[in-house]
Formats: sequence, C-alpha cells, structure tokens
Amino acid sequence: MFNGNLSPVNSSFIAMPPTIPTDKREEETAVPPTSFSRQTNKVRDFFSIPAPIKTLFDLVPVLVYPPNGLPQRAPKPARIPTLYVFSKKEDAATGKPSFNPGCLKWQAFLNIAGINHRLAASNNHASPTGVLPFLLPGASSSNASPDALPIPSSKLVKYAAEHGAHVKEPLNMRYEAYKSLLDHRIRHAWLYTLYLEPLNFNAVAYPLYVSSISTSPFVRASISHQLRAAAEAELLKNSSIIDIDDLYSEADKAFEALSILLGDDPWFFGCDRPTLFDASIFAYTHLLLDDGMEWKEKKLCRALRRRENLVQHRERLLVRYFGG
Amino acid sequence: MVLELHVWGPGFSLASIDPHCLAAIAYLQQAVPRGKWTLVATGDPSLSPTNELPALRNGDIWIGGFRNIFHYLAQFSSGEWVLDAGLPEQEGADCIAFSSFVESHGQPLIDLSLYVSSENFTSSTRPLYNTIQSFPLPYLTPPAIRAAAKERTAHLGLSALDIDNDGPETYEQSIIPQSLRKPKTTLSSLLAASPETGAQIKLDALAGDFFEPLKALKGDKQFLVSDTSFSSLDCLALGYLSLMLVPELPQPWLARAMRRKYPDLCTWVENLSNLVFGGPVDADDAFLTTRDEFTPSKGGKSSLPWVAPHNGGMVGVGSVFLSSIADSIPVVGQLRRNTRMRQHGGKTHASELESSSWRSISTVSGLVASVGLLIGYMFQQGFITLPAGDSEGYQNTTSGFTDFGDAGEILGIYPVRVDTEIQRQDAVENHGMPIAEVDVEFSSGGTKVTERVA
Repeated sequence: MFNGNLSPVNSSFIAMPPTIPTDKREEETAVPPTSFSRQTNKVRDFFSIPAPIKTLFDLVPVLVYPPNGLPQRAPKPARIPTLYVFSKKEDAATGKPSFNPGCLKWQAFLNIAGINHRLAASNNHASPTGVLPFLLPGASSSNASPDALPIPSSKLVKYAAEHGAHVKEPLNMRYEAYKSLLDHRIRHAWLYTLYLEPLNFNAVAYPLYVSSISTSPFVRASISHQLRAAAEAELLKNSSIIDIDDLYSEADKAFEALSILLGDDPWFFGCDRPTLFDASIFAYTHLLLDDGMEWKEKKLCRALRRRENLVQHRERLLVRYFGG
Repeated sequence: MVLELHVWGPGFSLASIDPHCLAAIAYLQQAVPRGKWTLVATGDPSLSPTNELPALRNGDIWIGGFRNIFHYLAQFSSGEWVLDAGLPEQEGADCIAFSSFVESHGQPLIDLSLYVSSENFTSSTRPLYNTIQSFPLPYLTPPAIRAAAKERTAHLGLSALDIDNDGPETYEQSIIPQSLRKPKTTLSSLLAASPETGAQIKLDALAGDFFEPLKALKGDKQFLVSDTSFSSLDCLALGYLSLMLVPELPQPWLARAMRRKYPDLCTWVENLSNLVFGGPVDADDAFLTTRDEFTPSKGGKSSLPWVAPHNGGMVGVGSVFLSSIADSIPVVGQLRRNTRMRQHGGKTHASELESSSWRSISTVSGLVASVGLLIGYMFQQGFITLPAGDSEGYQNTTSGFTDFGDAGEILGIYPVRVDTEIQRQDAVENHGMPIAEVDVEFSSGGTKVTERVA
C-alpha cells in the first residue's frame, strides 16, 4: 500500500516528462499493486471496470489523426456576404437575376440597398430555414467573427439597415392592399402557370428545378411530383377547386391595379428611389418578361405586356441594378 | 327567367354563414332589380360547378364562385347589372386591390374566430349547421370546413386556440398525485385556462392589421372607395366584417377588438347590413318552414327574396352524404379533387400532366413488385426450393459458435497480455518492485481462457 502510493510519485519525479499518457497508465496499474490492497478493495472492484478491459480502453484512441480538411468545393470564408439563391452556376458567378421570384425579390432588394454581395447557386436543402434565399455574412464584415449565423430572408431588411443602407418603406394605407395583390393574386397565377400548366412545367420549370438537381430518373420524377403537388395544395387551400380562368383574370386585374397605382411615377408610391415593394414587383415582372425563361403558355406574360408602365419599370430596375 | 342564388343558410342572425355568400347576396341586392332574382338557402356545395357556394342558377346554367357570378351578371345583362362600372381609374384600382386584401387578410380572422377556436366552434358554429343542413350532413360538413380553416391558418402559429389538439400536453408531469398537489396559479396557467387570452396579443395584432387599412380607406366617405356608389368591394367587406362583428360567441375577441378600436367601422357595418340584408334573419325565414311556400315573403320581416329550397328529398341528401364521405377518404378524395380540376379547366391533355419518366417509373416498379410477388408465391407454395447446399450452411452456422469462441479467446488474451506488458514495464521503471503477482494473474487468466475454449 505504502509502496504503491509512493511509486507513482517516485516515477514521476524520476522519469517525469517522457510522455504524459505513460504517467497516467502507471497510476492505474500502481493503485492495486499488492494482493493486500486487492483484497480490501474486493467489493469495490466488483463494481468497477475490470482492470484489463480498462487498460485496453485506455489505449484507445491509439492514434489521433488531424481533422480532415474541407472538400475542395466547400465555400471558403469570403470577405463579402454571400446570398444563396436558386440560380445556374454561371449566372450566379456573373450576378444575373435568379429564376425564383422569392430569391429575385431579395437579390434586387440587396442590389437596391447597395449591399455588396456575391451569389451562390443553391437549393432549399442548403438553407437553415428550409427556404431560399439566405445570406451568409462575410467573414471580416463585422468584428471578424468567422462563424456568423446565416440570415434568413425575413431579417434581411434589418441586416441592410445595420449596414448603412437606406431601407425606409413608404407609409401608405394602400401599401398592404397592393402587397396582397402580389402575394396572393399574382403569386397564385404564377404557381399555376409555372407548375401546373403542363406546357410550361415541361419547358420552364423542369430544366430549372428538376433536371439541374439530379440525373436519376427516379429522383427527377419524385421531385417534379412533389413540386406540382405542393403548388396544387397551395392553390387548393383558398378554394375548393383550381379555377384556371379565375386565376388568370384575377392576375390580369391585379396587373391593371398595379399599373394604375404606378401611373407615370418612376417608382411605386411616389418614392424618389426604389423600395422593397419595387423589388417584389420586379421579381415577377422580370421573370415573366425575360425571354430567357422561354415560356410556352404566355397568358400571364401577355397580360403583363399590355401594361406599358410596368414593363418600363422592370427595364429601369434591370438597367440600373443588374447592368442591363 | 328568374335567377336563383344558392347560398349557405342563415346563421348568427345574418343571411348566410359564409362571407362570400353574404357578398353575393349584397351584390345581387344592389345590382339586380327586385323580382329578377330569388334566394335559396342550401347546404350542398356540390350543386355548383366549382364545388363552392354561392352558386347562381339560370335555367340550366350554373355559375359557381362569387367573382364568376359578378362576371356572369355583367354579361347576362349586357353591362347593366354591374356595380363597379362607374368608378374612376384610381378608385377602380383600389377596389381590386382592397378586394384581394379583404379576402386574404379577412379569411384567416374568420377562420380563427368561427372555426379554429374550439369553444366558439363547438358551442356556436357547429350547432348552426344542424339548422341549415338536413340530418346526416352536419356530421361531415363542419369538421371538413374546420380542417380547411386550420390548414389555412397554420402558418400564423395560433393552433393553441384549438384546445382539442393539445389536451394532455398542458398537464405537467409529476410524481405527486393530483389530489395532493397544491393548486398553483401561475401566469401561464391562467393563460392556459382560456387559450384565447393567451393568444390575445397576436390576435389583436392580426385584427389591427386588417381593420387599420380599411378604416384609412373609408375615411369619411359613405362607402369604402367612393362617396356615392356602392362597389363590389363594399359587398365583400360587408360580408367579412358583418361575420366578424355580428355573431355572439363565447370568445368574442374579434368583435371586441373591432368595437373597441374601430367604432366608426362598426356603425358603418351595422347600418349597411340593415340596409342590405334587412335586419336579422333566422332559419325559418330562409327555409320558409313556418309559412306557406306560395305566399310571398312579408317585406317587413325580411327584405330578401327567399324561396323554399328543393333538396331532392332522401335521394338528394343521400347522394350529398355519400359524395362528402368520398371526399374525406384520403386517396379517393384526392382523386376526386384532381378530376374536378381537370374537368373544369377543360384540359384534354390531362394525361400529359405527369411527365413520361414518372409513367415509366410506375411501370417499372409495378413490374418489380409483381415479379417479387410471383417469386414469393412460388416459394411459399414450394414450386421452388432452395439448393441442397443450403443445409450445409445451417451446419456452418452452428459450428460458428466455436468461431465466436475464438474471437472471445483473442479478446480475452489481448487485455491480459497488455496488462502484463504494462506491469513489466512498471516493474522495470520502479527498480525492483515485486512482480510475482503478475505471474499469478497471467497464469490464472490464461488457464481460464484455455479452459473455456476447451
């Protein structure tokens, strides 16, 4: 007992620092060195881990490898914030508008607010909220914290305001009403025309949202089915039936009302610079007027083209904030 | 030809329990001359081609949905029975925008107040359906409407109003029996007693978001968009606002919020609803149960041109019952809804809806499944037996226990060997510590293992 207690102290004094692990090992083997101590500790040993197993486990890990490096394609911490949107890779590199209205709205908003950012092509699975877009702040943007949390789209206005952008929304009693036109009437028509209109789904939505994700026919079929079912469920929430004529005629009336609201002003609500409202309008008008989308069923596009000032509004934003 | 407007029956002393039906009644009341239209209370939405009420019947033509009815009336009367025709440009735009606003922001409030809130639903809304639908239907319709309402309001995060949902969760887990616990009145337990109070802040904010723009739009004008003419927006707003204000509910948070903060809006709704619907309406007025069918309704009691419904007797009720049962069965209901959409859309290329890859996959998976079934069946019937080598496999697995024993042997020896190595090292470092015990342990451990193996 006495020896046993002393021995580790001795050993550590004599051969102190070859390696610390051997020191530990000695302690464990040195505690029950004599048969006497073994007998007194019999009861306690019965409940403790048997010595051979313990020594074996103490050997593990035998060797600790350094952590693996991130894959080559992993995003490097960037100096400027990155906005993750639905986009094609080459379009994202050149900062072209996203093909998803929800993403394009916030992309346009950041451009208008003058927040310098770059784009990354992504999909919903990448987002912490499950929905694109989200913004990953730059590594050195604020007090050099590399693990800054991603910012969901709902907090982007606050983020822009904190970074010195002018983000005042017009205070107008009509604001909410005309916004509801966009969020309901035009959005519903958009959902129908993109996902449920078979011509457009195969020609427009399929290459953008389905075949870009996977080459496996099983995955593709499942994704396209999911997309269409989600669009259908969204439309059936508000009515017991998808009334196509009603959807299109309501969207047409919505464009009419928005066109009257804009009048001859450059921006909505008579502001001297574009706001988030302009960005949300642009998100739909740009995609409907963009020839690159190759719409096959153009009912909604025609309804929009009839409103000259909305077409010009889109041109104005495109030239000024997306470089043409 | 007299136009027939079919609507959900009356309730809460209003002419209908549905905001769109109220809007349609108000529109026809204002736009269509008296005597050219009649009003029928019904409980069967499948009458309408869009499967929703209100529905307008002109001979054999059925028009469903209140917007379609407005369009049809304009066509039918060649532009005479239209309310919004005379509006200036800006007011017309406001009418369109605020119609969308009333519909999109008003519907969740009605849903929460009349359907999602358990207390209001069970004690007020649900019993109403007994008066406006015939026997088996009230068992199906209200829960279906309520489920739809819950789905529409799910994103608001106010499901706490529905106390059927989270009954057991509110009781905290404790080992103290219920009878010995001291009643604790915490703030949260007070709030939990009535979920409406808990959600009050959120509900008030929602209601405020809805009423504020309407109040600003109306200002001092007589109607919402114009001072002189009644527009379709007034019809729609009247439908929604009166259903928020008039019903007397056990949890009157919506009406209370409206009365407290927007008294002008309340008086406007009350006056207009008296003017348009002609005072309170009850089920007897609508179904004409108390008076003879052929006597014209007395203008004093109700100014609406009610006509007794013809529900087709037992057969009619039975078919409605069966179709609503079919709609509530998961897969069948979905199929019915899909066919409804396609019929209405007039799509001939409905089969193109599914991409060709989806079709090929279903074929392949069907094939795989049927082959698998066939093979399984053959095994089961003994048409195919496993090759003879299989029985040897069994032997192998039984002798495999010794393999396992080998593994045990290795595992058993390894720690001992490590142990001895360490102790030897220990002994060397300690310059002459007793090492006899090591031998003992080694031999005892070693013999144990070999014995076990043998």
